[in-house]
Amino acid sequence: MACRILILDDDEQLREAYRDYLLECGYEVDCAQELEEAQTLLAHLSYSVVITDLRLSKLAFAGLDLVKHVREHSLHTRVVVLTAYGWPELKAEASASGAHSFLKKPMRLKELGETVELLTGGRI
Amino acid sequence: MKKSILERALDPHELSVRFQPIVQIQGTERRLDSVEALIRGPRGTHFERADILFDYVRRKKAEAAVDQSCLTAICAAAQHLPSEVRINVNVHASTLGHNSSFVEFFHRHLREQSLAPERFTIELVEHAPSCHILELTTNIAVLREYGVRIALDDVGLGQSNYRMMLDCHPDYFKLDAYFVRDLSADSKRRAVVRSLAALAEALDSAVVAEGATSADDLLQLEEMGVPLAQANILCPALPLEDLLARGYMGVEAFDPSALKKSAKEQISACQPSRKVLSLAVGQSFYT
Repeated sequence: MACRILILDDDEQLREAYRDYLLECGYEVDCAQELEEAQTLLAHLSYSVVITDLRLSKLAFAGLDLVKHVREHSLHTRVVVLTAYGWPELKAEASASGAHSFLKKPMRLKELGETVELLTGGRI
Repeated sequence: MKKSILERALDPHELSVRFQPIVQIQGTERRLDSVEALIRGPRGTHFERADILFDYVRRKKAEAAVDQSCLTAICAAAQHLPSEVRINVNVHASTLGHNSSFVEFFHRHLREQSLAPERFTIELVEHAPSCHILELTTNIAVLREYGVRIALDDVGLGQSNYRMMLDCHPDYFKLDAYFVRDLSADSKRRAVVRSLAALAEALDSAVVAEGATSADDLLQLEEMGVPLAQANILCPALPLEDLLARGYMGVEAFDPSALKKSAKEQISACQPSRKVLSLAVGQSFYT
């Protein structure tokens, strides 16, 4: 069975670009556009990797809440944080919250794919 | 922008309805008592599954709005039910415990749809401890004036506790499947069910046992005096047209001799019978 990936991003275009690329790579991919949707999916389905934008439109850094949620509820799931902000403090906070990888937007889709591949140990 | 899951759940056209029979299990013939209307979320999403949909709805604190949307979808589907069949609808206790707008909506919407409130049983589901009991009991009293019956869902688990039994005076206890599953093989489960059945009787409530998985479980329930059961082995939740087409509104569908078969085998074995349908509906155990 393919590794399952969950993407949380409120930007529909980006979300679908990530999804399409990861589907092409052979992963199963689910998308969420808000925090509660992602939290619900995590409560009922098992994901190898969660990719989350840090800043969601209505909530300042809600992506961090998802990172903490994953750490508390789904220990085996790896987390990739995406953000347009390059602040070292933010990266440190994301890491402290449980993020396994931190990518600065905009990034190449190939870079995202390589990060996911690394976190899944090359499994698809 | 793409609609959120919540926006989609608030559109009754995005929801679909399944009906699962509740069956009288005492006596020589198993008869239809009523049907529970079960909601499925937006098609093609994980939220089609009711447990995922309502977990999300509770996280969004949108129970009241979604309960209205579900009722609208159920009333539209119920238009095609035989008019004698009673309908169970799930409503969050918090929806009734926060304000009276749901009760007003319920009454207005049923009138608009020409559905008699007396046909409805509201199953109180509650997953959050914060519920205004005074508001809830006041709204329940209004619903009872309309002829609506009240069931306490998931009895034995979570917030469906002794206090809710005393405060809400439910007409029905719906025993959670956890206590009913494999009942025949587990003396401890039998002790719990026997105790809840005795409590229900003392409180003038009837028991609906959910989730029996074998004919032996059903027999055990019958011997304990439990009058009603709802289980996939009797009939799974199906779209109304499938229930009607397969004769599940009739007596023969619940023939004990058929219960040794799997639910799937039963579905394929049952043939539609308009005659049976017209005989069976409207013979509710409690009317």
